[in-house]
Amino acid sequence: MNPREIIEKALREGRRKLLEHEALHVVKHYGAEIAEADIAYTPEEAGEIAEKIGFPVVLKIVSPDISHKSDVGGVIVGVKTKEEAVEAAKKILENVSKKAPNARISGILVQKMAPKGLEVIIGGLRDNIFGPVVMFGLGGIFVEVLKDVSFRIAPITINDALEMMSEIKSAKLLEGYRGQPPVNKEALAKTIIAVAKLLEENPEIDSIDLNPVIAYPDRALVVDARIILRQYEK
Amino acid sequence: MIDEGVKALFNPKSIAVIGASRHPGKIGYTILRNIIDYGYKGKVYPVNPNADEILGLKAYKSILDIPDEVDMAIIVVPEKIVLKVAEEAGKKGVKVLVVITSGFSEVGNVEAERKLVEIARKYNMRVLGPNIFGIAYTPLNLNATFGPNELKPGPIAFISQSGALGIALMGWTIMEEIGVSAIVSMGNMADIDVVDVSEYLADDPNTKVITIYLEGLKPGTGRRFVEEMKKITRKKPVIVIKAGRSKRGAAAAASHTGSLAGSDQVYSAAFKQAGILRALTTEEMFDWARVFASQPLPEGEETIIITNGGGVGVLATDAAEENGVKLLDPSPELKEAFRKTMPWFGSPKNPVDLTGQAVVENYVEALKIAFESPEIHNIVVLYCQTAILDPRELAPAIIKVVNKYNNKKPIVVGMVGGIETYEGMKILKKNNIPAYPSPEKAVVALSALIKYKRYLEKRSQP
Repeated sequence: MNPREIIEKALREGRRKLLEHEALHVVKHYGAEIAEADIAYTPEEAGEIAEKIGFPVVLKIVSPDISHKSDVGGVIVGVKTKEEAVEAAKKILENVSKKAPNARISGILVQKMAPKGLEVIIGGLRDNIFGPVVMFGLGGIFVEVLKDVSFRIAPITINDALEMMSEIKSAKLLEGYRGQPPVNKEALAKTIIAVAKLLEENPEIDSIDLNPVIAYPDRALVVDARIILRQYEK
Repeated sequence: MIDEGVKALFNPKSIAVIGASRHPGKIGYTILRNIIDYGYKGKVYPVNPNADEILGLKAYKSILDIPDEVDMAIIVVPEKIVLKVAEEAGKKGVKVLVVITSGFSEVGNVEAERKLVEIARKYNMRVLGPNIFGIAYTPLNLNATFGPNELKPGPIAFISQSGALGIALMGWTIMEEIGVSAIVSMGNMADIDVVDVSEYLADDPNTKVITIYLEGLKPGTGRRFVEEMKKITRKKPVIVIKAGRSKRGAAAAASHTGSLAGSDQVYSAAFKQAGILRALTTEEMFDWARVFASQPLPEGEETIIITNGGGVGVLATDAAEENGVKLLDPSPELKEAFRKTMPWFGSPKNPVDLTGQAVVENYVEALKIAFESPEIHNIVVLYCQTAILDPRELAPAIIKVVNKYNNKKPIVVGMVGGIETYEGMKILKKNNIPAYPSPEKAVVALSALIKYKRYLEKRSQP
């Protein structure tokens, strides 16, 4: 499905939030690189998908009714073989049926585990004065506690995106820190531009959180994407 | 394209004051008196159904009775009859309405404001306001406000979304010797907005810098603001002070990004993208405006500080570092030249310390070197009050040197001391040399000029 179809399907189904795999695919379609993922509808399918995208993988429950997946045993990490993946999927379904018996289950997300890197947050929202706005910040305490983020009004150029990165107080961490190599800023810029475009071209989207995006010396991977749709007044 | 209505705002051939009053203390009286007293050369027609003559001018019962064309109609009547007189102004062929009257959308009376704009559209008029204190444009000797009337002409335009603060700052510019080209009260911005006015002023030969007190943009107008202001800042510096918070749709808080996006940060981003300089206080806004109004853009980054006190020199150095002002590391030749301008215990490094022994001649010699040296692009002169050098003598000496070199490099002055330093600074300001009561303010003001230069350079790159 292309992004339009995904968004329209969600709206038809009365959902204000895209499911994880939908959000990831939409973001990927707009030029961001994602930690490869797909949705499985049976444990066997989970095994096949895992084999296809390569190990290790993480399995996560996908449900419009569950926001804290770990609390209901809906996440299993470090899965290394096809058989393990099938078992993990069964285990997740069992956990969820006990701890959240009334939740609607859309499937199980099977996602390639991203190696360690620098975690950043890229976001976007629709401001009622300025329209689409994008945000950049470093993950963890930098955003949560220090609110060290920068904004731009869309549309933006690659230079705008690079400037956003250099503007945050913790910008030096992007250059490498205590032996860490510098991250690929162009890849991050590309991801920021994807968010700006997504908002511009899809007026139904209210906000986007890519959290985390993991930055490496050669690329940036979107690991988790959250896309909220607007409620239209009928 | 700037339309006729906005042009008429700054160049009316004739003005009707609808609601002109014979009674001092009334706004309809003060505006008419200000227009007459400030020396407006066009025709002025008071409109008041109960008067034959006001302030020596023949009064008309209705704008429709005026025998001539009317470009601008200033409306000062009670809210209830604004729509009626607006309709008449439309029939008269007025180009722009300046609606002083309050009681519209600012108090929830959205419907009347909508109708006002509807009438204006019908007759092809533009509307400034409602809920404003008026407009002044000094090149035309026009002061159609109910603010003070001793406005000093100059190249700074001031656009205010706040009424009371706008009037207060009008008075303040007079006290501070700040010369203004235009003062425009925006009020509810039912029609003409900050961008329309800035667009006009960007091409106005009498305006060098545009300052804006902004409370908030209307929903959905932000992108136009960024895009149009981007064009304007290429022509002229724009300094904004932004207060208040916009109302954001509650839905935005549903996401992480939404909870982080204080509207203020989004405004900051918008200003940055548009090349607008954001001041944090009104004082700072005018501090910067003064530099843009009087100083050339620098040729480069290298800045020299000339001082008679080590302490203020260090404070200025800190402010320079914090604000991205690059202090020159003088060549041995330049140091040698500066050495000759000071006692043996002075310092020819940067800051150039002429010592507390410095007299007028020391400053003059050091300043000449600063203007002549190709190493130096920007000059900061600092003065701490001493018994041997009267700031009222130093000020004219600085002016003389600056004039000798045709003000070819930006210069700012910081003076610290008692009442005499204020008098010294007043002399400097009157002669177009920005002077500030602290070393930090002088440096920060200069940094605004340097930032704007960098912005223009960045924008001119392909």
